[in-house]
Amino acid sequence: MAYRPSKRAKHGFEWVDTNVTPMMNLMVVLIPLLLTSAEFVKLGVIELNLPPAAQGQTALDMQAMPVEETKKLDLTVTITDQGFFISSSLAVLSGDREGAPTIPLIEDEGSMIYDFDKLSERLLEIKQAAQGKFPDTDQIILLAEPDINYQTVVSTMDASRSIRVEGSLVPLFPEVALSAGVF
Amino acid sequence: MAYRPSHRKGHKTGSGEVRLQLTSMMDMFTIILVFLLKTYSTHGQLISPSQDLTLPSSRVQHPPEMGLDVTVSTDWILVNDQAVVRMADVAAQQGFLIPKLNETLARYASEAKKLEEQYGVRFSGKVTIQGDRNLPYRELIRVMYTCGQSNYPNMRLVVYKEEE
Repeated sequence: MAYRPSKRAKHGFEWVDTNVTPMMNLMVVLIPLLLTSAEFVKLGVIELNLPPAAQGQTALDMQAMPVEETKKLDLTVTITDQGFFISSSLAVLSGDREGAPTIPLIEDEGSMIYDFDKLSERLLEIKQAAQGKFPDTDQIILLAEPDINYQTVVSTMDASRSIRVEGSLVPLFPEVALSAGVF
Repeated sequence: MAYRPSHRKGHKTGSGEVRLQLTSMMDMFTIILVFLLKTYSTHGQLISPSQDLTLPSSRVQHPPEMGLDVTVSTDWILVNDQAVVRMADVAAQQGFLIPKLNETLARYASEAKKLEEQYGVRFSGKVTIQGDRNLPYRELIRVMYTCGQSNYPNMRLVVYKEEE
């Protein structure tokens, strides 16, 4: 016969604590492990691949090379202390007056800053107009004045690589090259 | 006179068993665990940013890669954390090439090429460039030119990823 609990004896509630010690052990091991492999600063890299340095190429070799026949766009964005100049093999896009930058600096809280959004918009227009007509509608050349800082160059690269239209990223000119220019 | 707890009122004075309350600590640990799992990265830190410079921030989504590390801080140019040339000396020089940096990079390149010949470790020509966000374009392009001239044409500019 099965054991029947006595009715006379008291059977009240009794608090039984969960044994959390194994769980604690697990946490104590897991947390240092994850801490060591946590990525607090998100780093990224911008890829710039140059053709390897040409070696032993003389002027004669250069002459023997076939001449390029196709017309290229050669889109160039020049960063100056007044703003951006956009130019191509065909023309230099002029600003609101002669000699003014295509996209001038804008004023923001008392200081002059570069208008990266406007640059992206103009480049989108150019991309749409040039698509299919030129072989190099993925390439853009960046040129900067010697005193332009690194952050501005990187932000300009971002602005010319893609644009956010209605929440989705549209590629503009993903192959960015830096040009040394004339110093 | 100090307060003496009354026995009649049922104030407990006995040496009852005291248990450690671990529930709140468990709550805390659970939150920390979830947070750490979110920031978990499988490849660890491939590039450790230098102390004496602030990297520029960018919207780029490309993850970092291994490569020879060239750091251009405000005072020094370092290759694999070893000082090579002072920025002041670089600024005083003419032309694009930075001779000391070129020398060092060429040495690394020839060592890497030797490794490639002997052990088959492929030499990728990758170099990661860490530059301060206020570095003028003039110096940046000179460093890049020197890297290109020293058999390191595949450059990676290290940036902070901007959260979107």
